[in-house]
Amino acid sequence: MAIQEVVSDLVANVAQVQVEVGEHVEIGHELVLLESMKMEIPVLSEVAGTVAAVRVSPGDVVQEGEILVVLS
Amino acid sequence: MTSTDHAPAPAPVEEADPRDPLTRLTTFLDDGSLHLISAQDRSGMLAATGTVRGVPTVVFAADPRIQGGALGAEGCGVIVEAYERALADDSPIVGLWHSGGARLADGVVSLNGMGEMFAIMTRASGKIPQISVVLGAAAGGAAYGPALTDIVILGPDGLIFVTGPDVVRSVTGENVTAARLGGAEPHGRRSGVVHVATATTEEAYDRGRQMVSLLSDQGRMDVSSVQDRDLAATFPESAKRAYDVHPLIADVVDDVEDCVELHPRWAPSIVTTLGRLGGRTIGVIANNPLRLGGCLDATSAEKASRFVRMCDAFGIPLVVLVDVPGYLPGVGQEWDGVVRRGAKLLHAFAEAVVPRVTLVTRKTYGGAYIAMNSRSLGATRVFAWPTAEVAVMGHVAAVRILHRRRLAEVDPAERVTVENELAEEHAVLAGGLPRAVEIGVVDEVIEPTTTRSALATAIAAAPQRRGEHGNIPL
Repeated sequence: MAIQEVVSDLVANVAQVQVEVGEHVEIGHELVLLESMKMEIPVLSEVAGTVAAVRVSPGDVVQEGEILVVLS
Repeated sequence: MTSTDHAPAPAPVEEADPRDPLTRLTTFLDDGSLHLISAQDRSGMLAATGTVRGVPTVVFAADPRIQGGALGAEGCGVIVEAYERALADDSPIVGLWHSGGARLADGVVSLNGMGEMFAIMTRASGKIPQISVVLGAAAGGAAYGPALTDIVILGPDGLIFVTGPDVVRSVTGENVTAARLGGAEPHGRRSGVVHVATATTEEAYDRGRQMVSLLSDQGRMDVSSVQDRDLAATFPESAKRAYDVHPLIADVVDDVEDCVELHPRWAPSIVTTLGRLGGRTIGVIANNPLRLGGCLDATSAEKASRFVRMCDAFGIPLVVLVDVPGYLPGVGQEWDGVVRRGAKLLHAFAEAVVPRVTLVTRKTYGGAYIAMNSRSLGATRVFAWPTAEVAVMGHVAAVRILHRRRLAEVDPAERVTVENELAEEHAVLAGGLPRAVEIGVVDEVIEPTTTRSALATAIAAAPQRRGEHGNIPL
């Protein structure tokens, strides 16, 4: 089973985590809501799969390239 | 020289080799239109004229069955002659690439041939559309050939690299697969070498044909055919909320199926798409808030610059859809040359003579405001929707700087309230959109429901010119 690591495009605050481990997601499903550049930026799933791990919590600061969610 | 006035003879009964350049040329061109303009010999390259969706086109294809498609002086000569023909006919030229590069056995002669090929590609740059469809490995000089052209389309078996995995392993010790070195993932997402990567070879041909049509059969703008739609329908309610800009682009153009998005996965915070409005080819440039909040960064500025210059060279009007919070800040960006590469976008827009119309949908701030085809850079028309913000920065961000001391003295619990009050005052003081209209940096405030016709009318009313410059692969 292929693993897909969903990473942050940019430095941001994690505002919300919208999935739980074990949850099935479709393409376009909102995984995490980031706040950066005074905007709320949703991170959407590019694949269909199951959430294998959630690496961040609300309030975390993430760096560019940091893993947010792992899908399988 | 094989040249016939009738349709080519039916293929031999045994199955045609899909790598045969004649098969590839025949497949690419409109049925029955192929006319060979080079000999079927051992040069490793075959050229033809024909039509693509009715557009007279010159096409050449490498022959990977002969020395892996490697090119010596003769093979390069075929390409040079094909270019001379295309330049004389003022027709687009398409290369179907599958070649290991220069013929080693031929020594410097083959390098010289490659150089002559690069020279004529550069001479043709900006004059006639050049499209490359990479069907197999394109290495060394055969990588730089496509890279010099306006559009690079990569089929599923296409690979582009200076040197293949074996040489990389022996020289640097890196173990890498061919696909990871030069396939769709590295070139579609990381390097920006490839404009369009396709899942099937048939789709690669089809995208190539579509590019010929969009670049060389641009049509005339028929404003009366442009139907208005509510372009704001796909926007989120909250102005802070990021959204994907693709549905907006789909609503602006006549038919999203007739569009080709260039570099969709590389620098995705800006979207560059060729499509049609009122039947006429246009180039659409749009910030995409879903990626990096829609910020300009070093790479996206460079991507947009090249697109602007290509459209300008071929006389394709531009529609610039602006919703931009600024340039992306950070050490990474500065070290990545956001100043140098961002300057390319200023240069590209300021230089462009094609009709270029800007629409501010939600906001445009700071340096990115200038870069996104502002009035000051010579925009043909600048439109804004009624709720758009045109400012140096967001009001809250502005008061945090302007009133830093005062805010520091406020009880933290009340800070947000005070900030918002100050921001409202600041908004009135800065003048917002009415002030932008008053000083002429926005020409007209328009409704989302009349935007399509406004864009089309503005383009149709402007002088139809094209820039006299090449399209260096920025």
